[in-house]
Amino acid sequence: MNKVVGLTKVLLKNAGGTKQKASAWKTVLIMIAIAMGMIPMILGAVVFLSALYDGLELIGQQAALLGLGVTVASLAIFMFGILYVLSVFYYSQDVEQLLPLPLSPGHILSAKFLVALVYEYLTALVLLGPLLITYGVKSGGGFFYYLFALFIFLLVPILPLVMAALVVMLFMRFTNVGKSKERFRLISGLLAIGVALGFQMFVQRQVSSKADSIEQLQQMIVSQENGLLNMITQFFPASKLAALALQNSGTLLSWGFLASFLLVALASFGVFLVIGNRFYFAGVMGISEAVAKRKMVGAAAFQKLIRERSRLASYFLKEWKILWRTPAFLLNCTLSSILVPLLVLLPLLAREDSEKLIAHLQSLMQGEQAGGIGLAIVFGAFLILGSMNSTSVTAISRDGQGFFYNKTLPIGPGQLILAKVLPGLLLSGISVLVLLAEAAWLLALPGEFLLFAALCVIPSVLFINLAGIAIDLLHPKLGWGSEQEAVKQNMNTLLLFMIGLVAGGLVVVANFLIGASLWVTALGLFVLFVLLDFLIYRLLVAKGPGWLEKIEE
Amino acid sequence: MIELVNVTKSYNGATKAVDQLTLTVPKGEIFGFLGPNGAGKTTTIKMVTGVIRPDQGEITINGKNIGTTPLEAKQQFGYVPDSPDQFLRLKGLEYVNFMADMYQVPKEVRGQRIMELARRFDMTSALGDSIQSYSHGMRQKIMIMGVLVHNPEVWILDEPLTGLDPKSSFTLKEMMREHADSGRTVFFSTHVLEVAEKLCDRVAIINKGKILFCGTFKEMQQHFQSDVSLESLFLELTKHE
Repeated sequence: MNKVVGLTKVLLKNAGGTKQKASAWKTVLIMIAIAMGMIPMILGAVVFLSALYDGLELIGQQAALLGLGVTVASLAIFMFGILYVLSVFYYSQDVEQLLPLPLSPGHILSAKFLVALVYEYLTALVLLGPLLITYGVKSGGGFFYYLFALFIFLLVPILPLVMAALVVMLFMRFTNVGKSKERFRLISGLLAIGVALGFQMFVQRQVSSKADSIEQLQQMIVSQENGLLNMITQFFPASKLAALALQNSGTLLSWGFLASFLLVALASFGVFLVIGNRFYFAGVMGISEAVAKRKMVGAAAFQKLIRERSRLASYFLKEWKILWRTPAFLLNCTLSSILVPLLVLLPLLAREDSEKLIAHLQSLMQGEQAGGIGLAIVFGAFLILGSMNSTSVTAISRDGQGFFYNKTLPIGPGQLILAKVLPGLLLSGISVLVLLAEAAWLLALPGEFLLFAALCVIPSVLFINLAGIAIDLLHPKLGWGSEQEAVKQNMNTLLLFMIGLVAGGLVVVANFLIGASLWVTALGLFVLFVLLDFLIYRLLVAKGPGWLEKIEE
Repeated sequence: MIELVNVTKSYNGATKAVDQLTLTVPKGEIFGFLGPNGAGKTTTIKMVTGVIRPDQGEITINGKNIGTTPLEAKQQFGYVPDSPDQFLRLKGLEYVNFMADMYQVPKEVRGQRIMELARRFDMTSALGDSIQSYSHGMRQKIMIMGVLVHNPEVWILDEPLTGLDPKSSFTLKEMMREHADSGRTVFFSTHVLEVAEKLCDRVAIINKGKILFCGTFKEMQQHFQSDVSLESLFLELTKHE
């Protein structure tokens, strides 16, 4: 047990990266900024949940909210679990260092499970926290309610995480074949994510036709005839126990429910250990092995490979190749820039009534008045989509401990920063163009609108990438152990997302308040963001080299 | 030629990693930089190569100041860091060519040089593979090739022999000798004192950020009036610190 706790601590610390004293205040500032960005979302959830509660209370069915909430949270935790398990169990590349230590497979499995569980708790805090607290306040819950809520909060993520781990472990075990393991790993990781997304789409389709408004949602919860709820509840039967325990917290019966829920969680962990023991290690061995052909490069290929390029082009090309060849970067930076704009379509297309909805949206986009706000929304979407791409905001972080080597090369700081921001610009440019193409196709956007939107792509993409590289220059995360940490567990990416969210929101709100026409909106946004871009650019030119200089590991 | 004048670097404003260090590495010599762990060797090399900035003092490489004219100064040297685990996702040849681009080596020259270096380090059949598939020694060799491809005037090598097989180690030492004999500069740090004793024209021993001794091995023996090995002298020198 001590070994498990010790190992968990080490793994968690490793994932956090080395802390630099000097930048502690920057970390705090980033945390505050992120928390501030989360507040509107959490407030929205609380408002929604209390409205739902009030409606259900009228018919005495408020407890159904707990059942639904825990179930939905379990589902989300399962989805996130797939990603966490992939990253903690497979892409973190530390198993080969752990195996020679006097640890049993059970120790390693348990510690890794706990690490993933910690991440799940952070996720559950956002997903489950507002529900448990809103319900408690609304129902006037006493000491026992909150005690039970705490237990439930701690227990709920275990079962979905075990399920996610089993799915991934089986996947990885049976794809651990062939010579080019790294590439295979990547494909199987993508497949696992695909399965999760497919499942989500299926759920979405089930629920969409019946739950458009709060009233309909209440209806659905009460009538209990909904296939979806039954299905998810079947998928996570234990969440019923959690809801029942909370509902009657404090009574003898509720202790029984809680105990049963605890038993289910423990049993599922037992299953995880047994299956993990059989499949995990066989699936993770040699995960980062690369193939070597050891063949002479042919004369023609040699001449091609030694082509002469400018420093800028050569550095850009190096960044570009590394982005595509490193699985963690490919998943989080390159592929995501193409996949995300496609994935945002899924919830829309997955609805049973998607045609009706699209037709409705189309009609909105055709009117004279809608032009300005429509463009503002598209512009906001560009900013948010751009901010979801972590290529520029991790451009320095990705180099890790090897970053200092850049400083020994005879390339000027301006060129270096430019070469580092170019891949991000290119990728988020592709990203927003894909989004624009989708919108043009689905919504039959008028030509004039498209022209303005396409024009606005440039300053919006520039803005988000320049902001990204500025953040990373000021606060890079270089002390990582696996590439996954550089892009995934990097707070800079979250900060940039918040900036995109806030800037995008402001653009839409401002346009809504002003009510400008298409022409004015296009011109206004273009000029405003070109100006902003110019300001950040001047800042980067003036201060960037100094920031670069200050990065001393 | 490398010149450091009164160079000081402290971390957190307290501990001085390098303290008022003055050192001249002349042309035509292999210069060994020795010292126990944490003595300030790597900090010094990082200041010379422009990775970190000294708090005080001047550093010039072939007369070019690394602080005021960094790009010109960086063109003068090639630097092999102590950890070769970099650029792992690039193929060996891609990496060497990237370095050739950084130093703007003309195409005709770079092709010949790459082939010659690959032949000498026995890397011809590995150039097309990713650096990730290389062993530690091969990674070390490709880093050295990346540096030598622009034929720098000054070589700065941090623990270059670690992990090399006997033949590559011999080749590198041979190349260091050739380079110095052609009137240029080789500055390298090592913990292997037998190598330093045999290979270096001159050594400096650093401890706690200060140079304890700088000169030829002969001068060192005369200075301490002893004919023991460099190892014994080194241990004696750094013992009381």
